[in-house]
Amino acid sequence: MRHSLASRWLSLVVLASLSCALVGWLAARSFAQDKPRSGGELIFVVPSEPPSYDAHREETFGVIHPLAPHYNTLLRTDPFDRTGTKPVGDLAESWTVSKDGRTYTFKIRKGVKFHDGSELTAKDVKASYDKIVFPPQGVASDRQGQYTNVEAVQALDPNTVVFRLKFPQGSFLSSVASPWNWIYKADILAKDPRWYETHVMGTGPFTFVEHVKGSHWVGKKNPNYWDKGKPYLDGYRAIFVKDSAAQVAAVRGDRAHIQFRGFSPAERDSLVQALGPKITVQESPWDCVLLVALNHEKKPFDDKRVRRALTLALDRYQGSQALSKIAIVKEVAGVVVPGTPFATPPAELEKLAGYSRDIAKSRAEAKRLLKEAGVPDGFSFTFKNRGIPMPYEPVGVWLIDQWRQIGVNVRQEVVEAAAYYGQVLRPGNYEAAMDFQCGYIVEPDLDVYKFQSKEISPANYSRYTDKTLDDLFTKQSRAQDPEERKKFIRDFEKRLLDDEAHYLYTLQWHRIIPHSARVKGWTITPSHYLNNQLDTVWLTQ
Amino acid sequence: MTKYVVKRLLLMIPTLVGVAVLVFFLMRVVPGDVVELRFAGESSFASKENLDKERARLGLDKPLWKQFVDWMGGIARLDFGVSMWTGAPIIEEIRLRFALSLQLAIMSTLIAVLLAIPLGVLAALKQDTWVDYAVRIFSIAGLATPSFWLGIVFILMLLIVFKWLPPMVYTPFWVNPVQNLAQLIWPALAVGYRYSAVAMRMTRSAMLEVLREDYIRTARAKGLWEKLILSRHALKNAMLPVLTVIALEFAFLMGGLVVTEQVFNLNGLGLLFVESVAHRDYTLTQALVLLVAAVFIFVNFLVELAYAWIDPRIKFR
Repeated sequence: MRHSLASRWLSLVVLASLSCALVGWLAARSFAQDKPRSGGELIFVVPSEPPSYDAHREETFGVIHPLAPHYNTLLRTDPFDRTGTKPVGDLAESWTVSKDGRTYTFKIRKGVKFHDGSELTAKDVKASYDKIVFPPQGVASDRQGQYTNVEAVQALDPNTVVFRLKFPQGSFLSSVASPWNWIYKADILAKDPRWYETHVMGTGPFTFVEHVKGSHWVGKKNPNYWDKGKPYLDGYRAIFVKDSAAQVAAVRGDRAHIQFRGFSPAERDSLVQALGPKITVQESPWDCVLLVALNHEKKPFDDKRVRRALTLALDRYQGSQALSKIAIVKEVAGVVVPGTPFATPPAELEKLAGYSRDIAKSRAEAKRLLKEAGVPDGFSFTFKNRGIPMPYEPVGVWLIDQWRQIGVNVRQEVVEAAAYYGQVLRPGNYEAAMDFQCGYIVEPDLDVYKFQSKEISPANYSRYTDKTLDDLFTKQSRAQDPEERKKFIRDFEKRLLDDEAHYLYTLQWHRIIPHSARVKGWTITPSHYLNNQLDTVWLTQ
Repeated sequence: MTKYVVKRLLLMIPTLVGVAVLVFFLMRVVPGDVVELRFAGESSFASKENLDKERARLGLDKPLWKQFVDWMGGIARLDFGVSMWTGAPIIEEIRLRFALSLQLAIMSTLIAVLLAIPLGVLAALKQDTWVDYAVRIFSIAGLATPSFWLGIVFILMLLIVFKWLPPMVYTPFWVNPVQNLAQLIWPALAVGYRYSAVAMRMTRSAMLEVLREDYIRTARAKGLWEKLILSRHALKNAMLPVLTVIALEFAFLMGGLVVTEQVFNLNGLGLLFVESVAHRDYTLTQALVLLVAAVFIFVNFLVELAYAWIDPRIKFR
């Protein structure tokens, strides 16, 4: 009996030891897999191509994706934060904000070198921001309008840069974390402010190797990078591929590891089906949305009852379920990307016109409003849509179907993409038209800027003047306290989408990145302009 | 002969000027411009003042006639200017893509000729037999199959069956022939098959016509060796219309393979053409149209010279 007990005890001890060993081995293995590994070349496809190399003047992600690894910005968004809303230091080691919220002082890292070996100082930061905020004659700065609040940029000493603002701005740190604001070398800009349109020379984790137009872009590891131990990759190669089927084939055929913009649900499914565990899928709400601009200068869209009726007709929840299977749209959202700090919670969102889950009640109200506004049953108008298949086409078809449910007959006219803004939206040549809003940083200032009165915002294609809305924009922008800012954003959203229904929000885009399971250290965010420096990215064996 | 060649070369100039006038004004009729597309687009911050400045920088604020005169002046000096979209010299933009397009056109033509001429001749010789029927079915299938669709089939087959995809970046033949052929053989096969179908049917019908000529009957009556009759008398004479078809197709391939280039992600002239139009890159589109027109004119000119070599009865005046 005693022998039997001892034997059992021994067996238990052995079993426990083996289990511990197994767990330890698995943990070690898992740790080894999660531990960044140096080496390898990341290959990614880019569906667009840089027109020039100067991010300060361009607006396509075709510049950001291949070129961002050559540069640093003053701040950046945390590369591991899925919301893309947390500014962290890049070239700035630390920063302080004055009590009145009008002076931001940034301490610049020491020992940062440009790829030509020269040292980066505050002078370079000032010169770069002067080019963005106060561009010299003949130099284009695409986002100059985002920095109208900046009064002056000063380099106090080689390691201190100060931004003086005209008034406090809650979004200023996010603005400085813009992925477009690459820091260039002051001496070069002084000689030729357009030099960076055709040349590359930054402080980033990768140095420039070659660009073959229409074909590819190559970068290699910067051995003198200031963030010691990074980057992990030996280099990267961006291949320009316009056709989406060819992009999918590239990932499927192992010619590329990833495409950083996004694939459609069908493309994701085909990759998952073909590659199984060799593919990892990351998804996120996308800081892009299709909107319906209702031309306030044309009857009956000058009547808010008509506009409210058109938004009340939309069953966004059912639309989300159906469209998310075939198009890159999904989330039902307000003016801020869902899941991010300033987003409206779903319960609160449901109180807005057109966001209620009781669609029968909403549509009955829509019909009543149309009748009250004197709009006859069977009223028809032309809806102009942009000639881009995904997701404009399915969303356009969905809208027409929804409006039909309240007795409105809509004819769709598709206009060639290249002529759309110049021929339709800007001149106001439409009754109702599809519009688009896409943020390069996840920040309410950027997301709602366009909805200010037409006298302020050239992108207000509904063509209205609403001083209350302008006032709310200013209040939310200047609010220093996040809770106070949230309240102003809610008020802004309610006035824009409900009270006045100036614009109709459809569905938030949904970003889908299926990539090789070998790619580690990259985190999806709601913006395809963010997180492309590649310093944290590594490849498993 | 020399007089004829010089005359034809000089006649190319008014043709090209005509093409230049047409493309210049047609591009201006198309709505939208490069500045609108590049800097306004979806941006919330684009101001009219900045757009006007950019237009002035590109010379788009000048009267149309002045823009045209400036452009023609540049062409006379062989200066095609810079791309309005990228700012790079147009010669450089085209040079990068020209090698690939030319190689693809040559490879497709070779495949087409190698398929079309033997099969076309065989079908004519074996008229109304199973051989003829088989060749005709093969050629009709080629005509009915778009080359881009065949390209997609090739890609899917390579991906699904062989788990392999052709390289996506062009490597010149002299740098790495294996890599180069691994990329270009598939589009060349897809394009060459359709191209061969046209030439095959033309070869067959031309051969049938020639084989019924009196001089063939005479040659046979003289007891000439059949192979000699076919190669020296029949095929040579049947080649005139076939040559025209092959040459025109070759010229088309230099800029017309838009979808095939897209499917195989080839950095060729066809895609550049489409992008330049989509971007309203006037200078680049104009230069590309001129280039393709020049290729067409030059290839036609070579065909006419070849006529005289193939058929000595043709005299140049």
